[in-house]
Amino acid sequence: MATMTRQQLGSVLAKQGILIAFVVFMIAFTIANPKFLTPDNLFSVVRSSAILGVMALGVTFVVISGNLDLSVGSMMSFSTIVVLDLHDQIGPFLAIPAMFAMTLCLGAFIGFLVGYLRLNSLIVTLGMLSAIHGLTLTYSGGQNMDIADKEGTWFSVFGQGAALGIPVPILIFVALAALLGIVLSRTPFGRKVYAVGGNGTAATFSGIRRARTVFTCYLISAFCVATAGLIQASRSLGSQNTVGQGLELEVLAAVILGGASLLGGSGTIFKTVIGVLILGFIQNGLLLIGLPFYVQFVVTWIIIILAVWLDIAAKRGKLWSPIA
Amino acid sequence: MTLRSTLAMTTAATLALTGAAFADGHGTMKIGITQNNVGVDSYQTTYEKAFIAAAEANDKVETVVLDAGGDVARQIAQMEDLIQQEVDAIIIWPTNGEAVIPAVRKAHQAGIPVIVTNSNIAEPGFDFVKSFSGPDNITQGARSAEIMCDKFKDMGIEDEAQVVHITGQPGYTTAIERAKGFEDRLPEVCPNVTVVDTQPGDWNREKSQQVMEAFLVKYDDIDGVYAGDDNMGVGALNAAKAAGRDGIIFVGATNFAVGYEAMAAGEYWGSIYQSPVDDAEAALKTAIDVLNGEDIPFLNYFDTPKITQDNMGDFTKPVF
Repeated sequence: MATMTRQQLGSVLAKQGILIAFVVFMIAFTIANPKFLTPDNLFSVVRSSAILGVMALGVTFVVISGNLDLSVGSMMSFSTIVVLDLHDQIGPFLAIPAMFAMTLCLGAFIGFLVGYLRLNSLIVTLGMLSAIHGLTLTYSGGQNMDIADKEGTWFSVFGQGAALGIPVPILIFVALAALLGIVLSRTPFGRKVYAVGGNGTAATFSGIRRARTVFTCYLISAFCVATAGLIQASRSLGSQNTVGQGLELEVLAAVILGGASLLGGSGTIFKTVIGVLILGFIQNGLLLIGLPFYVQFVVTWIIIILAVWLDIAAKRGKLWSPIA
Repeated sequence: MTLRSTLAMTTAATLALTGAAFADGHGTMKIGITQNNVGVDSYQTTYEKAFIAAAEANDKVETVVLDAGGDVARQIAQMEDLIQQEVDAIIIWPTNGEAVIPAVRKAHQAGIPVIVTNSNIAEPGFDFVKSFSGPDNITQGARSAEIMCDKFKDMGIEDEAQVVHITGQPGYTTAIERAKGFEDRLPEVCPNVTVVDTQPGDWNREKSQQVMEAFLVKYDDIDGVYAGDDNMGVGALNAAKAAGRDGIIFVGATNFAVGYEAMAAGEYWGSIYQSPVDDAEAALKTAIDVLNGEDIPFLNYFDTPKITQDNMGDFTKPVF
């Protein structure tokens, strides 16, 4: 490292602008409240962020393939409500695979509409956002869903358990991030996702079946949503029908914050994880500082825009770059 | 005389006539209701069921039951639909206390009496409303403060206790009123208890759990938590349990089944018992009374008593 030239340092900075922004915020929050950097707090933030994070992993695939997924919030409510209901009806052993199967069907349906009928993903998933919400309400009859025997079920392990002192939601998040990170960066399928999102026509001429790639991306997204729903359900062992409401935009913000392009073709799992952590730590940091909450809305988005700017500026090598 | 005032006088005259007709016991009353967001929580779902049941039980009443899905624009459109349908009275559960005022005024100008249910609209709209039927949220907040203070006195910590406050959704009248009731009453009954922090939990259990996690990191000493409803209270309780922090007094409002169960388990101290069935029946009764020309107070509250671990046996477990 000591022999690193200025130029090399510059290129590292350019690649990791968002990481630098993250470190800057962490230092700032720690100065504001020393309790910010305690293991308890770090664990609790990452554990809370795990739900958003797991969803963001899947959406990263969809966004890189050049599409959007705005349905993940209401899909997560669906998974949570279904698994809680089935838990008491058929037991957790069967409830979990049944919930995953139902959620994957929703993902397959969206993937079919976007991939094979070539419908605009914004409209499809915006429609599904409402449709799935309605489906959840129909399923539950609008009632809150609660597990009857909260003490006696092993189901709580996914949200409340810990292994080697690390909360299980964090382990799931890390494991899934590692797995999907490898899939995206080291496998032929991952390269196809970039190709389809980067230049669809070129991808077709290279013999890539675009429809199938897009379809698979939505399946991955639905799988991640189901996992998030599992963690959510297990964490509170009861839920409202609207538990995931609004998460779709936070997820998208995390993915874009991580540097994935809305136009497709770029982004990585690692940077999405950083994007998720920035969002999680901003919320927690502002709470610890104790800003009045109306101000928090404003500050949160100022910080997010600041982070995007730092990232872009590092890539371009300059802070000031008007549209020419 | 302008066209508008002619219209107003005509409709007023018609209303007086129809009012008299109902008082004589002739004809059915057609009452329209536009609800806030049925299905968003069990309270609203149970409310709707109770409302429909109460209306069906009364053969003088015919209802048009609508739901705005939490959407202000849709609720305004529904108000206009109800005016077009020439219902005899409109009950509205406002999605937003400010934004619905023009629609309420329109109904008022068309001579249709408007009854607000559950959460009141903002004060500039009061002139256009016949009656508000619902819980007294300020009293509820005050009663929660009393429950908490009494418990602190039992424990002998009324001179040093520190409380955190988790509110409902910012901007929502119920949230604002309960917070005000609590914050005004607590210093009156327990002047030495301090509220160290206030953050919104948005009526959401998960959000409240996250807020409480941050509070637990920030404050080494928390003796009490007041949450704007039991759903959030239980979220905060979950956070405290996960962090292994015992001995915190949790007080909520709108006793939910989960809150009732946590009280039975001895983990949650108290709440305010508010029945959606009472709420729905009170709204329908208020509308019928208005149409029968009876004299009813503008703020027509139904009672919402205190419930704690000590007296919970007197109450049945909430169905929501």
